[in-house]
Amino acid sequence: MEIRISHLFPELLNLYGDGGNIICMRKRCEWRGIDVQVQQVHLGNSVQFSDTDIVFIGGGTDREQKIVCGELLAVKQQLHDYVEAGGVLLAVCGGYQLLGHNYLLGDELVEGVGVIDLKTERGEGRLIGNVMIQSDICSMPIVGYENHGGRTYLGDCEPLGKVVSAGGYGNNGKDGHEGVHYKNAIGTYLHGPLLPKNPQVCDYLLKTALTRKYGNDFDFPELDDTVENNANLVMQERLKATAVNKMEVNARGRS
Amino acid sequence: MRLRSLLAVFAARGVSWIERHFLHAKATSMPGKIALRIDPHVLGPLAGKLKKGSIAVCGTNGKTTTNNLICKAIENSGNSVLCNRAGANMESGVVTALLFGKEADWGVMEVDELSTPLVFPALKPSYMVLLNIFRDQLDRCGEIDTVMQAIISALEKTPETVLIYNADDPFCSYIASHVKRTIPFGILEDLHLPQNRVVGGRFCMKCGTMLEYDYHQYGQLGAFHCPQCGFQRAPLAFAATQVKLSGGISFQVGDNLIHSHYSGAYMVYNLLAAFAASQTIGCDAETFQQTIDQYHPKNGRLQKFAVHGTSVVLNLAKNPTGFNQNMSLLLQDPDPKTVYFIINDHDNDGNDISWLWDVDFEWLAQEKDLVVYAGGHRMNDLQVRLKYAGISAQLVKNVTEAVKLTQALPQERKLYVLTNYSALAPAQRELHALSSQE
Repeated sequence: MEIRISHLFPELLNLYGDGGNIICMRKRCEWRGIDVQVQQVHLGNSVQFSDTDIVFIGGGTDREQKIVCGELLAVKQQLHDYVEAGGVLLAVCGGYQLLGHNYLLGDELVEGVGVIDLKTERGEGRLIGNVMIQSDICSMPIVGYENHGGRTYLGDCEPLGKVVSAGGYGNNGKDGHEGVHYKNAIGTYLHGPLLPKNPQVCDYLLKTALTRKYGNDFDFPELDDTVENNANLVMQERLKATAVNKMEVNARGRS
Repeated sequence: MRLRSLLAVFAARGVSWIERHFLHAKATSMPGKIALRIDPHVLGPLAGKLKKGSIAVCGTNGKTTTNNLICKAIENSGNSVLCNRAGANMESGVVTALLFGKEADWGVMEVDELSTPLVFPALKPSYMVLLNIFRDQLDRCGEIDTVMQAIISALEKTPETVLIYNADDPFCSYIASHVKRTIPFGILEDLHLPQNRVVGGRFCMKCGTMLEYDYHQYGQLGAFHCPQCGFQRAPLAFAATQVKLSGGISFQVGDNLIHSHYSGAYMVYNLLAAFAASQTIGCDAETFQQTIDQYHPKNGRLQKFAVHGTSVVLNLAKNPTGFNQNMSLLLQDPDPKTVYFIINDHDNDGNDISWLWDVDFEWLAQEKDLVVYAGGHRMNDLQVRLKYAGISAQLVKNVTEAVKLTQALPQERKLYVLTNYSALAPAQRELHALSSQE
């Protein structure tokens, strides 16, 4: 068995630990004896969507995201077809925003790739802090860290989950939704090491990709996730107890 | 001095006196905070005390060490100097440092990068030393672009400031391109160091083209140029050559040999920056070398302890570049060792510890016979990160326990304690207590 992962523009979209998601997918395949190919797609390279089982898009700084967006608009149709056909995709933070109709670049709203029905608008202050969500894709709550200026609103698609932590904002700080789950594409504001601390999310992506490729007939042994689950549990306890989020007005950073 | 400023100074001195005599607190930046509350413009009049001028030291990594070295070198050249304590590098910390004493020849201040727009217009530094800009505490400090803009705007307000900067860093070089009077320093040869997995600043700040390197030291530092617009490392005014990194470090700058018992490529940059600043304001090379020889930091930066026969090295590592540099250092050490990483996520550390995944812990996995412990508020996250790097780390509560575990191992080992910001002082206290029981 083999899984081929396309990591889009890692030299641009690698803000703050996003690469941890690739490390996690790779290791969890290796531990199960599944072959993994990680294709780093650099600027100017074309993405071979037909040869890809999982697409990963990370987050970048405003300046770097601008360079990427131009590049992605050129393959808009192929990316659209990939997602519509049930291709597995994980997009984090800036990468998540890029998937919508428009998104925020600094203070400017610009055209996104538009492969998922969502849009990102401006808001006062940045939404920063630890957050916990409950999603249908796994039993364990998903924990992570969000840091975004844009407020994302979903159209005709479902959120990844609901914010269940005492603090935490999710897509826009209003409707209690976090991320998007459309067909087999997942977008989320939980940046950095989303998958290592939420191994069930990682396994969900891997299993979905394997099912698409091999039907239901494949081996997917359980792993010992004690270490990962403990890290998740520690944050669960913390986030139940206190609101650790803070709203930073005037602070600027990634969108 | 205006009446309001005088009042601010008196009140702040009073607070400091109370702090020292009744609360037995070490100096904090509280007096500066009080002074600024009474007179928000107090820094300007206070800076008037500095007869010859001031030097502001900025950079993500290495500020404290470089600042202390410059301060000592200027003192050893027969000047009086006012200098701020490590950590107290916001406006209030700078004000606190200037509150005491009638006057001094020089002020040497480490300044938090985002505080420069506040500090510079009042302090009007004669020189700014800019070491590097790395990703650091994104939730607190914002993006690198924000940091660069802050420094550029600060320097635009003080056109008299001469910028002494690391020309190997494209970010620092971009800032320098906005400044009239600059003194570039850098390393003029390839050090052949292991390369990092995640590197910022790969693209030209001016035109967005991917930068090319004749050679790359670590992070984004190296001999870079943009193939598109010609943005490149400037010709070096202070160039380190013949760099040796084993058995202490040494390098040549022109006719001067600089050597130190410290190790690590990053120390070459710190020493080079301090040398460039000292030379520029007239300290001779001999005095500078004596300053290095006498410099034994007790601030938790590569601080050494002996605990019941076990030698312990304590160092700060608060962002991916700092961590990677630290790991290079300990991998160079041939002695058997254990490593204790401590990661907290207090506000002054940054609440976001995602950056652990940008650290090349995979390097450590290649080391045979290395024992690793994980501690701090985020010990579990650290343990996960290490697991995915191929390292099985035991959770350990504190330094005392780490020392005990190290001593219980069959072979005698050195213990490295690497902590981020808020974990440093408690670890240092523990080690002081343990080593005084000798």
